[in-house]
Amino acid sequence: MNRRIAIFALAALAGPVLAQHDHSSQQMQASSMPFGEEWTHQPLLLPRPMRNGSRNAAVLRPRGLDVSEVVVYASGGPSEKRQVAYPVTLEGAAIATAGPMVGNYHWVVARQEDENEVRVASTVWYFSNPGPAPTEMLLMPKHELEIVPQPLPREHGSYRESEKWSFLIRWQGQPLANQALTLETDSGTRTRTTTGADGIATVLFPRDIAPTGGDAGEHAGHGPRRVKFVLSTERNAEGKRYLTAFNTTYSPDPDRERSLGWGAAFGLIGMVAALPLLRRRTATADFSENKNA
Amino acid sequence: MLKALFPTLARVRFVVQLLMLLLLVYGSAIVGHYAAEKISGELPALSCAYDQQNAGYCILIPTQHQIHHRIGQGIVMAQKVTFGVFVPLIMTVLTFFAFFFVLGKMFCGWVCPLGTLQEWIGKIGRRFGIGLRRFEKGDLGDVKRVRPVKWVLLLGLVFLLPLLAGLGVAPHSLGNPYCDICPSRIATTLLTGNTEQLAVSTDDNISFTLNAIADLLIGFTLVGALAVRQPFCRICPLLSFNALFQRLSPMRLVKTKHAACDKCSICTESCPMDIKEISEQSGRKAYHEDCTLCGRCAEYCPQDGVITLKWGPFKLFSSSREYYKNKVKRELPDGTVKPVKIVKNAATPNPADA
Repeated sequence: MNRRIAIFALAALAGPVLAQHDHSSQQMQASSMPFGEEWTHQPLLLPRPMRNGSRNAAVLRPRGLDVSEVVVYASGGPSEKRQVAYPVTLEGAAIATAGPMVGNYHWVVARQEDENEVRVASTVWYFSNPGPAPTEMLLMPKHELEIVPQPLPREHGSYRESEKWSFLIRWQGQPLANQALTLETDSGTRTRTTTGADGIATVLFPRDIAPTGGDAGEHAGHGPRRVKFVLSTERNAEGKRYLTAFNTTYSPDPDRERSLGWGAAFGLIGMVAALPLLRRRTATADFSENKNA
Repeated sequence: MLKALFPTLARVRFVVQLLMLLLLVYGSAIVGHYAAEKISGELPALSCAYDQQNAGYCILIPTQHQIHHRIGQGIVMAQKVTFGVFVPLIMTVLTFFAFFFVLGKMFCGWVCPLGTLQEWIGKIGRRFGIGLRRFEKGDLGDVKRVRPVKWVLLLGLVFLLPLLAGLGVAPHSLGNPYCDICPSRIATTLLTGNTEQLAVSTDDNISFTLNAIADLLIGFTLVGALAVRQPFCRICPLLSFNALFQRLSPMRLVKTKHAACDKCSICTESCPMDIKEISEQSGRKAYHEDCTLCGRCAEYCPQDGVITLKWGPFKLFSSSREYYKNKVKRELPDGTVKPVKIVKNAATPNPADA
């Protein structure tokens, strides 16, 4: 009896793994994972760690919505490369930079629509690929209700605790005033702000990351720790509910892992070490107008 | 009008340095917020990627990152070392070279923000009578002892350690070790009111040590520059990086042999890098690896046409006796500024006489 239970348990454990192996290339309706992560119920696009560490490809898994494809918008390049759809498989959507010189920043959208609701998950992905800035890409309307960063963090930058960042909310391409925008973080914070007349809301990233919280940066041990957050907004129009979310990560306040006191002390030690250079004066040479002339 | 505004080459260079400092520290207001809107990420002058308001990055950061993330990891993964691995590095070097081709090592003497800061601090030192210290026998020692340091830093911190980190032999915190010790990172971010880079990382011992070295270097440089001209430039790996390519740019220093050169060393006296070869040599050897093409040697050469700044066949500035005479009236070759004489205008009647 015990042996039968053990075999059954092994089969149950091995089944999903084998299925994943067998059908990894097939498209998948993500109905098996309709719910978000525990910290939020908003739709998300979450990165899956890459085995080969490629810098020009990524796998994003939709969470909390049922989609068969994600659409990736690039900052530049020929028109057919500026908007590319990628199928969602068991692994997620394997996205890649569409070609050389299309730009570093890529905007990724997963959209689910039924008769009552339109749910959108969006995120930004940075591929190391020189090209145009994302200004035009962000300006371009992509779906009905949008959350648009104003601006995105620069290369070597990120959203960080205690910082304020602006986000534009657009409806049908136009700024939406007095619209609520909700922030939820993996650390458990939930705040709400409202857009002004220009459709822009300012979000203060909370100082809520636990000392050991978050994941390592893109390269283990290299770069700041990252914690997930999602911004969401919703609107009822034309008999439908429109829910849009934008998720990515933020980092701890650098002051947590840096010491200004030590920095200033070392700077002062360097200054003191240079002081002996100032002690001795040399006689000024006599450079008359006629020297060697 | 133009001559009144820019009476000397030094004045032209001062204005260029001022504009470049503004552009390379605060320039995102002009060229846009995002990296891709910047002038370049492969500049031949120290311009820090950690500064979130600047308008370009120097070549050293992508070089370290590409060796670390692409070449090192590419070899470790036992993938074929193909164009897919090396092309990004080649593109980085080619972009750098596109800039370098135009201005050559003038990026050091005319554009680099840290070079500009050191030079201006040196002017303050001269103005307040702080004695100039030179790398020469009898003072700070032979300049030749300092020269290899910049090559060691280039090979060790820009090329070797990032590669070892990419291979997994060295820890990832040694992935961009030069940037971690670069005093320009501290100086330019402080100029934007950001103290984050001055603060020392307490993540691990390696980061702590590297950040501490950066702070020691910027402290030493800021005070040392009062007495020693361009103290950090002498060991800067970007100077050695640029020196690798200096013969490939049409921008260069040309010196012809002259009989007076055996007795005269004013050009070396005026050189902020204490290059003896400019007075002792001529031709190719006079354009030394330490030269930043600042042009001071040409300004202070009292012989017509002996030292020339050239771009290809075009003479941009050439030494002349007349220019030298006017120049030393205002400033001595070591940078000492002559006191301004206030002379009462004889044509103006004194009210007391009325």
